[in-house]
Amino acid sequence: MKRLVSLILAAGLAASSAAAAPPPPAAAPVASIDPRVKFKDGERYLRDLSDGLGVPRESICKEMSQYDCFSDAFRIVLGGVEGPNLLVNSPLEQAPLTAPIAVDRVALHACTARVDLDVATPAQARLLKGGGRGAPGAAWKQATTLRIYDAVLRRAPTADETRRLVAFYDEVAQGRPARSPEVKRDWVILGCFAAASSLEAIFY
Amino acid sequence: MRRNGLGGVLHAWRRNRAGGLGRGAIALTSLASGVGTAAIGAAVLFVGPMLAPPAAARPPAPVAFCKAYPGSQACHTGFADCTTCHTVAPARNAFGTMLSERILPGAPRPLTDEAFLAALPSALKAIEDLDADGDGVTNIAELRAGSQMANAGSVPKAVACTQEQAERSKSAAWNVCGYDPEYAFRKVHLDFCGRSPARADVEAFRGLRGKPAAWRESLVSTLDRCLKSPYWIGKEGVVWNLANPKIRPAHTVKSGDNPGPVPLGDYDDDYNLFAYANSGDRDVRDLLLGQYFVERTKADPLAFRVLSEDELAKRGRGTRQPVVQDKRAGMITTRWFSAVHTMFTAIPRTTAAQAYRAYLGYDIAKMQGLTPVSHEPADYDAKGVAAPQCAACHSTLDPLTYPFTRYNGISGGYAYDANRLKEYVRVDGPRVAEAPASGMIFGQPVADLRAWAAVAANSDAFAQNVVRDYWKLLIGREPDLRDQVEYTRAWKGLKSADVYNYRVEKMLHGLVLTNAYGQP
Repeated sequence: MKRLVSLILAAGLAASSAAAAPPPPAAAPVASIDPRVKFKDGERYLRDLSDGLGVPRESICKEMSQYDCFSDAFRIVLGGVEGPNLLVNSPLEQAPLTAPIAVDRVALHACTARVDLDVATPAQARLLKGGGRGAPGAAWKQATTLRIYDAVLRRAPTADETRRLVAFYDEVAQGRPARSPEVKRDWVILGCFAAASSLEAIFY
Repeated sequence: MRRNGLGGVLHAWRRNRAGGLGRGAIALTSLASGVGTAAIGAAVLFVGPMLAPPAAARPPAPVAFCKAYPGSQACHTGFADCTTCHTVAPARNAFGTMLSERILPGAPRPLTDEAFLAALPSALKAIEDLDADGDGVTNIAELRAGSQMANAGSVPKAVACTQEQAERSKSAAWNVCGYDPEYAFRKVHLDFCGRSPARADVEAFRGLRGKPAAWRESLVSTLDRCLKSPYWIGKEGVVWNLANPKIRPAHTVKSGDNPGPVPLGDYDDDYNLFAYANSGDRDVRDLLLGQYFVERTKADPLAFRVLSEDELAKRGRGTRQPVVQDKRAGMITTRWFSAVHTMFTAIPRTTAAQAYRAYLGYDIAKMQGLTPVSHEPADYDAKGVAAPQCAACHSTLDPLTYPFTRYNGISGGYAYDANRLKEYVRVDGPRVAEAPASGMIFGQPVADLRAWAAVAANSDAFAQNVVRDYWKLLIGREPDLRDQVEYTRAWKGLKSADVYNYRVEKMLHGLVLTNAYGQP
């Protein structure tokens, strides 16, 4: 468990462009003078993950295998409303403390659902494709990184993002058998999670 | 008086309690916790001033302040917010304290309203160049910039890029110094369709960069498509949820489809009317003026159908709309609205307050939109509202309420009845029957609720409120000083026959092309 948590944290760092060394001042982009970044809310977030990962919306995230993550589990926490029974007629003005936890759970559910499908039906795999039985090479890791960014963020990764995620493979593999298929699986899930829990995926 | 079983029980309970509790609180007692928010708000309105010390806030002050600074952001609704001068009225904030010290210093308190109003302009002038919150920015500069005069953490912000920033931004991934079509394209997809655009669509759109006519056409066609999506206009979609604070649904007392245990009214009628008036080529003033009901005949693409009066008359007891057609006033005379707000009340102040808040944007419980009427409140139902501290708000609220007094709530079966108030004499005293059907809104006399609704629907406040709802939803904040030009253009355009002509979808086409929407 402790290892999983540390890997999840590391995955977050791996995908975080903000953590990269600052570029030279001349290249720094102009900051918005009036930023109005908005939270996607749970429903839009799940729809985007569903579209990108190719997992039906109704099955992409089920808490305890039966409760839809947005409609039934985290609706209010993730910016939804429920007037008739809960009397929450407008979204909460400020995200509650538990919102990031809920987002992380949703992201991990969705990515795990996708990779489980990839393992079950390799012919229709979206993220975890091929790679052979042994330790995968750099080309496979780069191609998988490309697939993750395309599916989750709908763009190609930058060179720095690719480098970080590829390097992250070694952290996942550390102390585990080199030929273990679990290493590849965990790396793809956590790479997907890193992209899906990024600011870019959650806000717009 | 006609009463159903539940009505009879609650009415009896209300009568029994009337001897032991404060009068105003009884009249506003809610049916259930599920529908009690408005009632609680109104009860606070009544009880709150009784607890306040004599040096209360000045009801005429918000209007008088805005007479002095009509173009300021603080006055964009026509009334300054109480927090301009108060923390929680009557306690003053730093600006209010500074101002108070210069209003007739040495004169015995409390001042009369006349003396206060006469002295206010010069006192305001005297502190313009001072700095109440000590943040280094003068009061007048903060007032002009829209920052808070009593909050050192609130200072004017830069609202424009420098020339150098603008040049650099043009070639960057995001043009943060101007309208960025690609940013707007993504937002239109997420806001109106509920999902991000496909990567191929973004790349195709990017190919239109530098071709304004082409990208506008693409943006508009995307918007048109999304405005018909279930995500936007469908059941429990965005527009549906926009109506939640206005309708205040409570499943416990829902009738019709999926009824609750005590089925009083079906708010599906209200949601359908709201979505209908807010979509297609339809006049949004029908929220207050519509005399019809609609149903959804298809979910995707959504289709509505106006119900005939025959169809309405054939409905079952729990879903009938008893107000006769020529007495209807859109969303504020539906069975549901009367059931949860009027309930058993003779002078249904909660109903009027909710109509004023939901459709005109003025919350009387926060002392907004006060336009006191002389010799009011007359207190026809003997609730004690003529006491000076209550009258501050009730001199506006009560004349606003009289036109609602002919519309029954739960008792009386939700129907219009010109003689309704005679039924309340036994409980509320003989004068209750003298309460007029005519009233006042925004200082204008109105003969009845239809006239009330007409003044309301044609007011600036209504148009501002419609646009403000969508502005908050799509821009992500209340319109402020940075948005003043575009926000004003939007609500004035909504009113103008030559621009949006009260068509919400047309207004939204304009809104997505504003810098407020499309500048990252």
